[in-house]
Amino acid sequence: MHYSNEQIAELVQPTRLHKNVYIDPDVFDLEMQRIWGNAWIYIGHDSQVANAGDYITLNYGKMPVVMVRDRNEQVHVLHNRCGHKGAKVVDQPCGRVGAFRCCYHGWTFKLDGTLAGVPHLSGYEGTGFDKSDPQYSMQKITSASHRGFVFATLNPNPPDLRTWMGGAADVMDNLCDRAPEGEIEAAGGVLRYEHECNWKLFLENLNDTMHPMIVHQSVVDSAVDYIKTLPEDSPRRDEAEIIPPFGASYEVFEATGITGFKYGHHYDGGKTSIHSNYSVDPDYEKAMIDAYGPERTREILTFNTHNTLYYPSLTIKSAIQNIRVVRPVAVDRTIIETWSFRLKGAPESMLRRTLLYSRLINANGSMVGPDDLTAYFRVQQGLQSSGSDWVEMHRNFGRDEDLGDRLKNTGTSDLDMRTQYAAWKHYMMEVA
Amino acid sequence: MSGSMDIAEIERLLYDEADCLDRADLDAWIELYTDDGTYWMPVMPDQESPVDHISLFYDDRVLMEVRRRNMNHPRSPSKEYPIRCSHIIANVRVTEEAADACTVTSNFHCLMFYNDKQTMFGGRYTHELVRQQDRLMIRHKRVDLINCDAALNSLIIYL
Repeated sequence: MHYSNEQIAELVQPTRLHKNVYIDPDVFDLEMQRIWGNAWIYIGHDSQVANAGDYITLNYGKMPVVMVRDRNEQVHVLHNRCGHKGAKVVDQPCGRVGAFRCCYHGWTFKLDGTLAGVPHLSGYEGTGFDKSDPQYSMQKITSASHRGFVFATLNPNPPDLRTWMGGAADVMDNLCDRAPEGEIEAAGGVLRYEHECNWKLFLENLNDTMHPMIVHQSVVDSAVDYIKTLPEDSPRRDEAEIIPPFGASYEVFEATGITGFKYGHHYDGGKTSIHSNYSVDPDYEKAMIDAYGPERTREILTFNTHNTLYYPSLTIKSAIQNIRVVRPVAVDRTIIETWSFRLKGAPESMLRRTLLYSRLINANGSMVGPDDLTAYFRVQQGLQSSGSDWVEMHRNFGRDEDLGDRLKNTGTSDLDMRTQYAAWKHYMMEVA
Repeated sequence: MSGSMDIAEIERLLYDEADCLDRADLDAWIELYTDDGTYWMPVMPDQESPVDHISLFYDDRVLMEVRRRNMNHPRSPSKEYPIRCSHIIANVRVTEEAADACTVTSNFHCLMFYNDKQTMFGGRYTHELVRQQDRLMIRHKRVDLINCDAALNSLIIYL
């Protein structure tokens, strides 16, 4: 069906959402056009294209794009489309080239996407074809980066990236500041995970602190039961610090708090989170103190958030140094990518802990991610019911504290939902 | 074949393991592994490290024990659906052999029925086997799925 602005407004109400938000393919198409077409969308980290000619390919919404570094150190996001007949030019997930060459008719493109060569050019003479016309290039998409995180947007007049991130940028800064050298780099590969659910169900779970003690009860019980059988003097295991907090009480999650920003970004935690009781590797602590001094080190390591969402495409865990990237495919199909990061100047043990976390919590074969996914899948199925057209989100409604540039509420509130859907409505109502 | 490793005995162990997984019986499965046993499913072809790179699975005894308990827990949403598998193992070859240990590669297909969907997995197993107290046991198993780097759905059980 076609949605008028009035009909879109009806779907998102202060304490409830219409089921079509999740199950109508027409809503999904509009989201790709209006949300993915206007927000800053995460593309990749510039450490993935460290040298001239390095590229990665990915889908931006439904469109194939390539991120590449040119010979002047500039990183570009290009439409991965030949200016001739439209063939996808680059088909490897990543690599290094001197120039791009289309496999079909051999058109070549410079690293900034400009058309370089067309074979047997004489046939175009006097036809009105102008090789310098940008429409025949691999066209650029507007991009910008913050601390190496590259975003792109199709919005012709986007807000400045840093302004768009608002206070949520503090968490990205904190992730990078956790490196003694103040920089991070993608490391240890990517995990791609097919989710048979609407992309928003994944986002809504990030700061949903009413689910862990239910959905993850089994893995927490299993870990705690097994730990009890171990002798007192058993060596310390990171698993024993990582898994049990998923079963923390409502009160613990309540105290972490949720902070929401304009454009749909939010995080839970700040002073405390499910990551705040991890042991600190003494070698890492020393490297940090050497780099920043004790005061600033304490400041960096005690800013402890759980999940931070840069709506709609990126969520990061600063305290753990991994990110998850949302790549919607269809109304009921989403690919979630997990990337891990090395803190430059930190001992390798830090990257190993990140990778362990990604494997224990986010992997397809983990004992956490599949239970979350089952819950999303069940929502996707249940919403087909005509029992009600509505999904509720009343928790702590009317009690969001307005601090001007941000809203705050307790950790178990639906502030995250309200924050996301204010942005959803903002983007969806905006007709180009 | 020379030495103390008999191919029939090796195959029997691989089939016994497959049978435990077909029945989703991790209590019996874990008994086939040594105390220092590990199970690894890389996410990249030719992946070199289970700890310096992300993997789909990398469990030692501790995580196997947690997973075994989790499999039997009544409140794991993803375990509410029956898991039925049928493993076929073929091309079993001993690639390295020492006095009381050997490395065995094999090809496998695993047909899985889970949550109303049938999925086909396939690839190569590499088993490191060791004789302990007169019993052949698994010290390490590596599972290289042919589509390990695809966007896979949840992997509910070891393959």
